Amino acid sequence: MSLLEINGLTQRFGGLQALSNFSFRLEERELVGLIGPNGAGKTTVFNIVSGFYKPTEGDIVFCGKRVNGLKPHVVTAMGMARTFQNIRLWNDMTVLDNIRLARYAWLDYSFWSAVLRTKKFRQSEKAIEKRSREVLEIMDLTEYAAELPKNLPYGLQRRVELARALAGNPKLLLLDEPAAGLNSADVEGLIRHIRWIYDEFKISIWMIEHQMKVVMSLCQRLAVIDFGCAIAEGTPEQIRQDPDVIKAYLGDGAL
Amino acid sequence: MQRYALNALFCAAAVVLVVLAQTGALDKYMLTVITFMGINCIFAVSLNLVNGYMGEFSCGHGGFMCVGAYVGSLLSTAFFTNSKLFGPALFGPELAPFLFPLALLGAGLAAALFGLIVALPSFHTRDDYLAIITIAANYIIISLVENIDAIGGPRGFSGMKKVVNAMSDVADAPWMLIWTIIGLFVCVMMIYRLMTSTYGKGISAVCQNEVAAEIMGVNTNRVKIMAFMVSSGLAGLSGALYAHVYGYVNAQAFNILKSTEGLVMVYLGGMGSISGVLMAAVAFTLLIESLRFVIPWLNDILHAVNLLPVGYELSQVWKWVIIPLVLILLMQFRPEGFLGNRELTHVFPRLRRWITFR
Amino acid sequence: MEFILQQCVNAMQWGSFYALIALGYTLVYGVLRLINFAHGDIFMVGAYLAFFISTAFLAPDGLFGFSRELTLALTIPLTMIFTSLVGVTLERIAYRPLMRRGAHRLYVVITALMCGLVLENGNLALLGASRKTLPVLLDKSVYDFGGIAVTNLKLWVILAAVLVFLFLQFVVTKTRLGMAMRAVSWDKFALPLMGIPLDSVIVFTFVLGSGIAGLGGMLFAMSYPVLEPYMGAMTGWKAFIAAVVGGIGEIRGAFVGGFLLAFVEVMVAAFLPSTFRDLFAFSILLVILWQWPTGIFGKPATSKI
Repeated sequence: MSLLEINGLTQRFGGLQALSNFSFRLEERELVGLIGPNGAGKTTVFNIVSGFYKPTEGDIVFCGKRVNGLKPHVVTAMGMARTFQNIRLWNDMTVLDNIRLARYAWLDYSFWSAVLRTKKFRQSEKAIEKRSREVLEIMDLTEYAAELPKNLPYGLQRRVELARALAGNPKLLLLDEPAAGLNSADVEGLIRHIRWIYDEFKISIWMIEHQMKVVMSLCQRLAVIDFGCAIAEGTPEQIRQDPDVIKAYLGDGAL
Repeated sequence: MQRYALNALFCAAAVVLVVLAQTGALDKYMLTVITFMGINCIFAVSLNLVNGYMGEFSCGHGGFMCVGAYVGSLLSTAFFTNSKLFGPALFGPELAPFLFPLALLGAGLAAALFGLIVALPSFHTRDDYLAIITIAANYIIISLVENIDAIGGPRGFSGMKKVVNAMSDVADAPWMLIWTIIGLFVCVMMIYRLMTSTYGKGISAVCQNEVAAEIMGVNTNRVKIMAFMVSSGLAGLSGALYAHVYGYVNAQAFNILKSTEGLVMVYLGGMGSISGVLMAAVAFTLLIESLRFVIPWLNDILHAVNLLPVGYELSQVWKWVIIPLVLILLMQFRPEGFLGNRELTHVFPRLRRWITFR
Repeated sequence: MEFILQQCVNAMQWGSFYALIALGYTLVYGVLRLINFAHGDIFMVGAYLAFFISTAFLAPDGLFGFSRELTLALTIPLTMIFTSLVGVTLERIAYRPLMRRGAHRLYVVITALMCGLVLENGNLALLGASRKTLPVLLDKSVYDFGGIAVTNLKLWVILAAVLVFLFLQFVVTKTRLGMAMRAVSWDKFALPLMGIPLDSVIVFTFVLGSGIAGLGGMLFAMSYPVLEPYMGAMTGWKAFIAAVVGGIGEIRGAFVGGFLLAFVEVMVAAFLPSTFRDLFAFSILLVILWQWPTGIFGKPATSKI
């Protein structure tokens, strides 16, 4: 059974066909990439998979369960986490609180036990605190635990976002352009970091990335879309030589 | 022990207040002003949950206060007094001091239920459109109450004096002051504990980045329902207290002006700051009450120096020119209010040595 | 049947008032994304200005002792001009400094709400509770269409609303200024780069919106001559509902919404006790916003991730 199975995904916004008949499979413990020119519909795929959009047509099966039409928080609770192209942290909460909130989908106490501070509440909060500190430790963010994300440099904000995504113990991590806005030295670090996360957390990763260096050195497999259609799939080596891909990126004249 | 110094101080202050009221050292007017201060605090702190922490713009909070005022009054008169509307008392007047919280609870629950009118549309809408919905809810509630003739319609509803008297007959005490202090304590603790739990921080997450909240596993719809219901429920509590302090309710007392008072207090204190809003509520009540004396005084002075034409008197209406002007100036020069989204203990970290919150 | 038709005529008149105010709401919102909550009170200011101007002119008490026709002819433009001055002043002293500083939109909305309160209560405090009555400026004549009585004033009111609507539609879609107005609503920051004077466009918007409200206030005062400071509050809120129901920011929406709301209200009042009118008006708003979160003509906002 594949971890994630996408069949014939189509998305229309009014008259615009953002995605047509896109299919893809992702096995457990895979690190794959999704590439394509600007506006090809990559983020749309992520938005549908994570439950933010409801697809017009098609099926998404995650861990053997059909998830299209489910609310994002339900999908998250099933073990999917993602980061965003433009960082979306809760800027007026401390870094620690940002991480803690990633456990929200698994909260097991009720409103009243929060207000009455019951034993169950104290136990859960303690567990959440412990887990969040662990994640901060692993991601080397402990010294920033009490900072507000908006006061951190860009690279660190990206790392906090990654930590937040990992705090939920996901089976599948979706990364939306993790290298966007980083300089080349940072990109080297990011590549090492992602590989390390992949090994350390034993998860599957699906990433959108523009920088070829990142996908070529990390991904075992790549899918390419253009104008909402899948145009190629294969190993980085195969994709590099695929005439359709070259055409999509460079135009007809390049051949 | 030092860590509990301020906690003890607050408790002592509450006890002293009650004793002063009991011995008659506080006259009736002062007592009413102090009680209203407490009610305004509950009202403002509850509005702060939605407008401050959740960052929505609810401007119909008075409507929920109205629901609470009416339901609370109806319940208490039905419970403890013989009335034309409900017939003989359900529990009898001698139980009034013990079962009065039941009426308050009922008022809170009813108001919380009405909070759903605003919570459900808030799934799809935010900002301006939600502001409109809240205003509409305020008008709908008032209009609804005015159209139910059995509870007095536009004439209002009275009979709560009897309930308060019933409580005093059992034991002579400034009951409404006591209930207000307890209500305020419950309200502040509830919101403080909620907002320091991971569960309640979902509200801040919705405020700061709703998309991220939704995708990171926060059930945003449930969070909104929870926030609106808690907020309007506590407003209902304040309404029930208000009705019993006054002894008479009229739906028009909870119109858009009442909601505006709430907005003034929240934005004066700082959105998302409990201590700031409490300070603002106290300051605001004092401002309103002092204007009651300042305006006639100003009137006399201005007439004495011939600055006002003969035949024109400064009236209390000026109060409602001055209050909005205060808020306008505030928006211009200090839009974050007294404390912004910080608490007093953040502004003065040393306070933390003296106070403990849990 | 005649009763219903008669009610329809009344609804047309109320719809015109709502539309005239709603157009102002929608214009300002369309350009600045700001709900100008003071707009209902600008309508009230318009009515009062019409009172002061016309009593100043009209014989026998007025300073100038003009005839009715001349007074009417002078009062209309003067009321519009002075009312738009009030609107522009508000923008200048209350909204602009805030928007310059890039304050959160919420603060501007609260400021607008407070400005409205200052206007109504300031009026009450200054002029007292004595009610002003607008002098008769137009001889009343009643036309009879098969049993349905229509006064000439009603016809003028409806005609004014339609003309204003057509005029605005023309301004916004066909003129350069209108294009600039639409451009502001799309991108406030790119505009100065394109050589469009942002401030003039905003001032123009307030002049248009407030001027129309002034006209509405005057026509309202001519139809219901007793003035009071809070007359703008409820009517303003209703007009605002109309604008929202139509889809705020859309000129067509304000016009259609105004008439729609008036029809509902008049019909409710015709068959049920009139105290239910507001209840229905606001409940309809709630239901419409629930179903169509951006009104009838409004375009849904998309959030991009």
